[in-house]
Amino acid sequence: MNIQTKFNGANPADKDGVDKGRRNFLIGSAAGMGLVMGYGALPGAGGISEAMAAGTFTPNIWFTMDADGIAHVNIVKAEMGQHVGTAQAQALADELEIPWENVRLNYPDVAPQYGLFITGGSWSVNWTFAAMSQAGAAGRMVLMEQAVKNWGVPLAELTAEAGMVVHAKSGRKVSYAELVKGGIVARAFTEAQMKAVPMKAPKDRKIIGKSIAALDIPAKTNGTAQYGIDSFVDGMVYGAPRTPPVRTGATVKSVDDAAAKALKGYQGHVVIKDPVGMTNGWVVALADDYPTALAAAEALTVDYDLGPNAKVSSASIMAEAKEMMASGEGVRTFVADGDAPTGLKSADKTHTAVYTTSLNLHMPLEPMNALVYEKDGIWHIETGNQFQAVLQGVMPIVLGVDAGSIAIHQRLLGGGFGRRLEADYVVVAALAAKGSGKAVKLIYDRPAEAQFDFPRSQALQSLTAGIKDGKLDSMTHDTVCTWANSRLAPAFQGDAPEGKIDGFAINGADFWYSVPNHRVRLIKSKTGDKAAPAGNLRSVAPGYTFFAVESFMDELAHELKMDPLTFRMSMLDAKGKNAGAAPMSVGGAKRLASVLKTVTDKAGWGKKMAEGKGMGLAISSAQERNTPSWTGCVVEVDVNKTTGEYKVEKITIAIDVGTAVNPDGVAAQVEGSALWGLSLATKEQAMMEDGSIQETNFDTYNVLRMEDVPEMDVIVLSPGHYPTGCGEPGVTVVAPALANAIFNAVGSRVRDLPITPEAVKGAIKTG
Amino acid sequence: MAKISVNGKEMDVSVAEDTPLLWVIREHLKMTGTKFGCGAGLCGACTVHIDGEAVRTCITPVAEATGKKITTIEGLEGDGNHPLQKAWVAEQVPQCGYCQSGQIMTAAAFLAKNNDPSDSEIVDAMTGNLCRCMSYVRIKKAVRRAADEMKA
Repeated sequence: MNIQTKFNGANPADKDGVDKGRRNFLIGSAAGMGLVMGYGALPGAGGISEAMAAGTFTPNIWFTMDADGIAHVNIVKAEMGQHVGTAQAQALADELEIPWENVRLNYPDVAPQYGLFITGGSWSVNWTFAAMSQAGAAGRMVLMEQAVKNWGVPLAELTAEAGMVVHAKSGRKVSYAELVKGGIVARAFTEAQMKAVPMKAPKDRKIIGKSIAALDIPAKTNGTAQYGIDSFVDGMVYGAPRTPPVRTGATVKSVDDAAAKALKGYQGHVVIKDPVGMTNGWVVALADDYPTALAAAEALTVDYDLGPNAKVSSASIMAEAKEMMASGEGVRTFVADGDAPTGLKSADKTHTAVYTTSLNLHMPLEPMNALVYEKDGIWHIETGNQFQAVLQGVMPIVLGVDAGSIAIHQRLLGGGFGRRLEADYVVVAALAAKGSGKAVKLIYDRPAEAQFDFPRSQALQSLTAGIKDGKLDSMTHDTVCTWANSRLAPAFQGDAPEGKIDGFAINGADFWYSVPNHRVRLIKSKTGDKAAPAGNLRSVAPGYTFFAVESFMDELAHELKMDPLTFRMSMLDAKGKNAGAAPMSVGGAKRLASVLKTVTDKAGWGKKMAEGKGMGLAISSAQERNTPSWTGCVVEVDVNKTTGEYKVEKITIAIDVGTAVNPDGVAAQVEGSALWGLSLATKEQAMMEDGSIQETNFDTYNVLRMEDVPEMDVIVLSPGHYPTGCGEPGVTVVAPALANAIFNAVGSRVRDLPITPEAVKGAIKTG
Repeated sequence: MAKISVNGKEMDVSVAEDTPLLWVIREHLKMTGTKFGCGAGLCGACTVHIDGEAVRTCITPVAEATGKKITTIEGLEGDGNHPLQKAWVAEQVPQCGYCQSGQIMTAAAFLAKNNDPSDSEIVDAMTGNLCRCMSYVRIKKAVRRAADEMKA
């Protein structure tokens, strides 16, 4: 069975978290619960308590307020470093008109009423800002209406501020706490009414737009923060994976555990038979402690059938990609503006360039882990995960029980970056628990983490431009890569004329430059898909599409003997489809031009650089064309012409996120994501040989360290439009800006990531 | 059986002598602030102090710590108000936070010996600790802030 057949019916259209079956929102007080917001229908003249008794009310949507006036905000997003709970609560608290100190965060268990449970794509604030704001505003309306009932004054004469309802005319004030204690008559909002609840104008906001200290931070400085790996339950054993010698396709023929049995504390092993097909070939060794489990896993003698992928390598995947690009096998058209092939034929001049990226690993610092146990007929899963909608669909199959018998408890994530969108580690832990009849806490060791990652795909991209009358008139962009979401989230696929397409594997190629004839096509790598299944790695496709597009734009500018800034500005005219649309992309390419101006002004674009030094720029509209965060970057580099070694001296990066709900939080995300981009551009590379990733730890899989960090200048723009995401776009601009800077410094064009000194040196020699 | 002293408390733990100290702290003592990252001394998430020195517990057998003073993040400062911990909040350093116990313990051992560090000394001291969220800019600022407070 493929995982895609059981995706819990989750559909991206459910992204606002609204439970389709129960579209009425109810807000009111219930005995012992304070003010609650939920879904349901009010029975007759009754209130929330009656609705609960009648079973027609699902409480705990977005927030509750206790009798002390404290709002407990439900965060149904993974907390993985982006401080999403703080940002969501800011939106709600601002409209609810409560002081920030009266806000608490609650991370509830996964439940159907929360809709599509996923944290990724830089979507969290973008998808929930309106829902959280309107929930807060609706709560405030209900509280004010109760004051109207209590006082018999017109609503228009009341204001709400700092957790109080105020009647200025009579000087009366009542706190939310007192109103809640006195009881709130329930009010129902239809979905349409809720969506029509007005949100504040930016000038009236008090909490949104403030750099409030993140609520999850203090516990992360004193050892008290609880991650998945910190979960314990009485009687549990530890599981360590014995993984097969190839990434995908091996099966276990036999296991001999004679040597493991000699280890004190060994508790047996489970051969994983995975009904969703993610982890076949795995064996889990169990023991009283983790080091013994690791030793036992190593001590097992396992005989494998290596399966069909045992000879696959990075080189063979790329060789096949080139063949597929040439043949056009399985091609899907993503953009078809004008007629690019004809345009190229009539061009004055054409230019072609081919770009590649390597396999890249997520390598979050907390290895994959999950604690799974059965208690009183309920299977409990304690783990940090980004895509609980998949767990909701898959775990009933894995455990052989109905969804109502599974409780998924949220824990903090020690890094996500897209790795924890996957269910593999939860599946293995559950099968080990079920197979052994014990509570099992499974922890991947670092080699398993590296070798059984779902890496960023190797991408092969070929771009051709047709120049006519001194302008970019036509452009084709063909990509071959592995698709993450035809496997993981088929409902997220789009429709191309030729069939289904994973737009997340090509996003970004649909840029905001006005090019009359533009064609983008995508091909799924066959071998990559089988042997090195891709995942969504922070910034996903825009991490490679913008590398190609923005490197290429510089190449074209140099061909045309134009300044790369002037060349780009000439195509950011915001005409036609690039005009943008309210609310998400209002302003369109004009905002991108504005960010480009901001970042180049700040970086001093055009200033005289010393010998061997150069500046390069790049822009991006990641993550998706419908929800762009407008990003611009200038990288300064110092290149040693003799050795090809280079040092990135400064990154200036500007981002327009519409509204920065928490500007310092946005800045932190942009700092981190830009450095992710730098790490991917300069250091990170995994190689597959004999069907297996060769880099097994941080000694060979190199990631950025403090000594590699350049001077950073981060500019966050918040013009007051609807908020877009900030966790990923910073990744997308650094690699092309660096490649362009190296070219401007020493005339060396490198088209392969990561950019090695050898490649820089080689490109100098060959011109 | 090993006798160890953790955060000022003497304890007996029933483990083999070659058990990495990390797992003794996490599994036997249930002190989970010290983290497992790489298992090979490459990332620093498991850093604690042994007699004041920053040590990678994932590759340190418990036998090497017997008779010595072990300090974990939980015991760095009873109330969590070490200048570094305050600086970590003031600079809003942690993102996912998983590496930060190790970062703080590395920084604390460093500042205990050098409370007037240059920027390059801070980088040299901290570059062995990975932060996959790449919060490095803020870690550096926070070490500087704590050093300034400790000096004053």
